[in-house]
Amino acid sequence: MNDMIIKTENLVKTYNTSKVKTYALRGVTLEIPRGTFSCITGPSGHGKSTLMHLIGGLDSPTEGRVFIDGLVVTRLSSSELADLRAEKIGFVFQFFNLLQNLTALENVETAMMFSKNRNNHKEKASGLLSLVGLSDKLDAKPSELSGGQQQRVAIARALANDPDILLMDEPTGNLDSESEAEVLGHISELHKKGKTVVIVTHNNEIAKMAEMVFKIRDGRLDLH
Amino acid sequence: MNIPKLVLKNITRRKGRFIFTLLGITIGIASFVTLLSLGGGLKKEIKKQATELGANLVVTPKGWCAYEQISVLTGEQLPEAIPFDVVKKISAIKGLTAVPYLTERTAIKNSPVPVIGILPEEMKAFKAWAMEKGSYFETQNEKAVIIGSGIAQQFKLNPMNELTIRGEKFSVKGILKETGGKDDIAMFMPLSVAQRLYGVRDMVSFIAVKVDDIAKVDEYILKIQETANVAVVSDKQLLKSVLSIVGTVSLTLQLIAAVAILAAAFGIINTMMTAIYERKREIGILQAIGAKRSTIFKAFLLESGFYGILGGIIGVASGLVFSSIASPYISQNEFTAFMKGTEVAGSFDLRLVLWSLIFSLFVSLVSGFYPAWRASKLTPVEAISYE
Repeated sequence: MNDMIIKTENLVKTYNTSKVKTYALRGVTLEIPRGTFSCITGPSGHGKSTLMHLIGGLDSPTEGRVFIDGLVVTRLSSSELADLRAEKIGFVFQFFNLLQNLTALENVETAMMFSKNRNNHKEKASGLLSLVGLSDKLDAKPSELSGGQQQRVAIARALANDPDILLMDEPTGNLDSESEAEVLGHISELHKKGKTVVIVTHNNEIAKMAEMVFKIRDGRLDLH
Repeated sequence: MNIPKLVLKNITRRKGRFIFTLLGITIGIASFVTLLSLGGGLKKEIKKQATELGANLVVTPKGWCAYEQISVLTGEQLPEAIPFDVVKKISAIKGLTAVPYLTERTAIKNSPVPVIGILPEEMKAFKAWAMEKGSYFETQNEKAVIIGSGIAQQFKLNPMNELTIRGEKFSVKGILKETGGKDDIAMFMPLSVAQRLYGVRDMVSFIAVKVDDIAKVDEYILKIQETANVAVVSDKQLLKSVLSIVGTVSLTLQLIAAVAILAAAFGIINTMMTAIYERKREIGILQAIGAKRSTIFKAFLLESGFYGILGGIIGVASGLVFSSIASPYISQNEFTAFMKGTEVAGSFDLRLVLWSLIFSLFVSLVSGFYPAWRASKLTPVEAISYE
């Protein structure tokens, strides 16, 4: 179905460490319609982040397939995967993952560097930072920003190439409640603008905002 | 924002490490350039001196080694080992001109100056000397000196000035026109006067021979050897053996410089590997936001190449400066005495500069290859999960 922007088929991920085979995912099949707000929840270490990495093409599954917008992600070369991440997916991580030696503006511009569209990076980047309320912090380094501000820079960076999908791993996990509310406000805005938002979280408040919730337990989708 | 800008921001992040790594390659390239430019200048100068000697053959005592053969060209002091009788016998051979040299040494204001005993008339004809100031010797045993233009300039000497050599007063009779070679920095006096002054009675150091028919050089060598118990080398052999020694010496020195560059290459590898470990997470972030493996590879290769370009430029520049500073000092050595008073130090060899820059870039790119490959092989999730 074309409406399913994200689809996984029987995803299995195992890690072989010192002769022991560890299962991170044991066969996850899910479908996420375009423009929806979904949450992946579950206890720590049960495979939530692994699932997000596989959907975002940051890692490859041991078995199974991932489809993004009808494209079989698991068949793509590393270069095609990089293009996919640059154009179609925006990531937001728990620990912000900004480049520390670059300013807020440069962090957003850096993401634009990998897109095929090569015009007006500076203008667009400062526009995105204004969108998340940081127009006065364009030249600030991450170390000069609060956690909430850093996460907003990360959101602006995720939007750099106007992706269809936003994948977020505990985006408010490291924020105080005030910053959390701010960041969630921005995420909600983005959803309203038609982005497909997938958030990995422990946070029940976020789960309540979501249209779809996928619970992961022991590497499986908990359907109950 | 673009990749080169990102690389530049990364490279200057750890200023201390950046400078030390850069110093490594800079010193390596600088020493390489210094030795190459000194060596190149030396060879050029040796060829020039050989031409200036104007001889097809050089007659030396038997058993002289290459060191003494070099001294024939440099005008250094040599043992006086050939009796004057031999000069007469060789001169008597038809079809050649032979001029004896007695090379001694004195000092003006504590600086060593070669004193060369010559047969005035014969030498003037042999060398086609012209006078700058004053006049040339009139008799074969006149107690006076003719000086080279370089000596005149260095010690501000003019005709009629007096000099004391081994306790005796000599007047400067004339100053030679600039020859561009060793004659400019030597002092000449009639052979008999020099022999008496240095107490060597009837001896000379070596004999320069010019033959009328260049095609019969080998024939003349045999004739001279039949006449007297001496060694004869052609100017080509002399040049060849001197150049081969100089070549060996400079090759050895260049090898040492190459080791310095090799050490610098490992410095770059070390710095790049450390940078990759430090920036592992950042590599993951870049991959997550869409950087290709090839982009990561290029960025790291560019970073190490930057060391090569900058180190190369600074190294070549300081190597050229250093060789010009060092040349007067190493000219104290007989092997490298050619440098004295020459323009070797200032000579700017564009080919040397270009090749050194290319070499520096090549070394740094080769050094950066493995670290860049390692960086590009990181999987995004492995890099981004790195704490």
